[in-house]
Amino acid sequence: MSLTVDSVTKKFGRFPALNGASFVAPQGSFVSLLGPSGSGKTTLLRILGGLEFSDSGSVRFADLNWLDMPARTRNAGFVFQQYALFKHMTVADNIAFGLKVRPRNRRPSHTDIKKRVTELLALVQLPGLEDRYPSQLSGGQRQRVALARALAIEPRMLLLDEPFGALDAKVRKELRTDLRRIHDHAGVTTVFVTHDQEEAFAVADLVAVMKDGCIEQYGAPADVRRNPRTAFVSEFLSA
Amino acid sequence: MSATGLKLFPLRSRHVLPGFRLSLAFTLVYLTSLVLIPLLALVIRPAELGLDGFWSAISTPRVLASLRLSFGMALAAAVIDSFFGVIIAWVLVRYRFPGKGLLDAVIDLPFALPTAVAGIALSTLYAPNGWIGSLLIAHGIRIAYTPYGVLVAMIFISLPFTVRTVQPVMAELGLEVEEAAATLGATRLQTLARVVLPMLWPAVLTGMAMAFARAAGEYGSIIFIAGNIPAVSEIAPLLIITKLEQYDYAGAAAIGVVMLAASFVMLLALNGLQSWTAKRR
Amino acid sequence: MKKTFFDGRSGSRRRSFLKPTEDPLWLRLFLGAVAIGFIAILLLLPLALVFKEAFANGVSALWAAIKEPDTLASVRLSLIAAGIAVPLNMVFGIAAAWCITKFDFPGKTFLVTLIDLPFSVSPVVAGLIYVLVFGAQGWFGRSLADNDIHILFAVPGIVLATIFVTFPFVARELIPLMADQGRDEEEAAATLGATGFQTFLRVTLPNIKWGLLYGVLLCNARALGEFGAVSVVSGHIRGVTNTMPLHVQLLYDNYDYAGAFTVAALLAMLALLTLALKSLLEWRYADELAAAHRR
Repeated sequence: MSLTVDSVTKKFGRFPALNGASFVAPQGSFVSLLGPSGSGKTTLLRILGGLEFSDSGSVRFADLNWLDMPARTRNAGFVFQQYALFKHMTVADNIAFGLKVRPRNRRPSHTDIKKRVTELLALVQLPGLEDRYPSQLSGGQRQRVALARALAIEPRMLLLDEPFGALDAKVRKELRTDLRRIHDHAGVTTVFVTHDQEEAFAVADLVAVMKDGCIEQYGAPADVRRNPRTAFVSEFLSA
Repeated sequence: MSATGLKLFPLRSRHVLPGFRLSLAFTLVYLTSLVLIPLLALVIRPAELGLDGFWSAISTPRVLASLRLSFGMALAAAVIDSFFGVIIAWVLVRYRFPGKGLLDAVIDLPFALPTAVAGIALSTLYAPNGWIGSLLIAHGIRIAYTPYGVLVAMIFISLPFTVRTVQPVMAELGLEVEEAAATLGATRLQTLARVVLPMLWPAVLTGMAMAFARAAGEYGSIIFIAGNIPAVSEIAPLLIITKLEQYDYAGAAAIGVVMLAASFVMLLALNGLQSWTAKRR
Repeated sequence: MKKTFFDGRSGSRRRSFLKPTEDPLWLRLFLGAVAIGFIAILLLLPLALVFKEAFANGVSALWAAIKEPDTLASVRLSLIAAGIAVPLNMVFGIAAAWCITKFDFPGKTFLVTLIDLPFSVSPVVAGLIYVLVFGAQGWFGRSLADNDIHILFAVPGIVLATIFVTFPFVARELIPLMADQGRDEEEAAATLGATGFQTFLRVTLPNIKWGLLYGVLLCNARALGEFGAVSVVSGHIRGVTNTMPLHVQLLYDNYDYAGAFTVAALLAMLALLTLALKSLLEWRYADELAAAHRR
């Protein structure tokens, strides 16, 4: 049930965002896509989430041709850098959204949804904030709500696009630890995009260092740090 | 001039830039003579009737019918225009097709076209022997010279307001919330209904209010198509003119005050709506 | 048809579903049809009708109708009214925007609301207020009659009413524009010793020239096309106190449809020209227009 990404390419007009990216991650692992802006990491993540279409290449996950499924059916929770919370809905409605839009036969009961929301809010350490609106929350709180919302659908893959980019250093560290804890608890395959190497190395099982649409090196953090394979990787890591 | 120099002589330069007094004076004189004083006349004139006189001037069946027609049809037109306005704005913002720029520019036609031109064109178009009127007459529907003519003219005149208030908000929505909804399992229709439309609601209401205000006061594009039968298809502005021609200045002013008060309330409601949405976001 | 119309695909890989932010084809076709159909029927048909009726009796009849003395008189009157109202309102707009955006003082919001007032007032009410002031039973009616001064039912009244309904246009464009542009450049000019007028002419004006043109364009279109307010103060004296829109009404009421639509076609062409220039300005100079920012 591993995640197999094979030679994925993507061009935006003339600009080659992805030039054949490949990696394999075991089920339940925490992968970080690390690199400078323009390296293609966000593009790859969005392709995994179904928000962009690749030009060529394939992805297999959970025995499925991943790229042949629309975003709606992939059950891949996505956390955006700017949270993308539904501003006109309360925190509870935001988190419950993924459950409420399910077709009738798969939709949990009203009480079950409420229970789940309370559990998730406790999980992301925001108990009692059900009736607040996103505009009344701090940046860190909003991101926790976004995470809870993505987790509510019991995703088989969790995708995070520089989720802590808009937050200050202290909040980043807290959220990073909480994220790892939640990942370990849920056992969900997680792909996490960042340009901050300290963050990537602190939280991931596997790191993919990307440049110009390619994965320059891929492996456990300790290995990558000890044996950088290209000049770019060693420069990027020492910066 | 040193910083201490400025502090010692605070009266010397109250304003950094020149021309304050001149521009303010000119602006105030212009506004006072052109706007305030005439408006004052409008508000004072009905006072000579006294409160009872004012009330009886307003509550004759003919006046009430004209106010009902003007405001009632304006509300209907605003709702209809809001509905189609959202659709038109969505098509203009989200879809790509040849000629879109032209379509976008045409929306402003009711804004740029003199109301008398619109008036005679609509009247001819929806008359029983007009291009559209003849098609409808076959089904027993009369538009010209009935209250429905008023409605059609108001729909024409107010469309730009509903489209142009919603359009920029749609353009700024950004796609991320729609992407988020999709990753959470929502179908496209669910996303549109539960995420996109609710976010547009304040802009839709604002457009509706502006459309209503414009349509209620409109004159030129309506009087040709309306029929102007007292108590049936006579709009309030026309009644004001009729009273003026009969030298019933106070009666005309009374209706004018009612219309002005309605505009005022609308303006306040709009401002209140803006600040309420600003707090929510 | 699929590639250029309602383009929904990106990337060359063939897929049977759309991006999550794109509407399904049936929805796109339906909404597109509703939008285009609504606009065509509501807006384009009346416009087409105006030109069709104007040319109904051929080009020479059209030309003869334009050269009618009463028609030419109405054109002249419209041009006079606009010719006085527009420059005056331009100066007002500049003065108002200058004091509102370059200075701070109490009552600014009230001032701005006052400037917006003609927009929310019915045109008939706009004419009514001048009748109440200058009319036979108005405040100054008696003294005007005694001195044989005619404001109402004469050119001055028409000019006044036109000024009232059109004065916000330039101000409404310049105020947000100049507020956006801030005061830095003007302050720099002040420290370098420029007078107020020099600062305005050399520093401010170049920055606002497109916004000013835009506001003047709208102001002019409204001035030439105003009907309701002018109708109240005009007196409708054929060949004397009828502007072009009023003349359209006179011809139409007298069953001279070809004549009415001829003058209407002239006004419609003016409207189309205004729209074209407006779009051009919005497209080319979007950065220098407040109106384009609002879009």
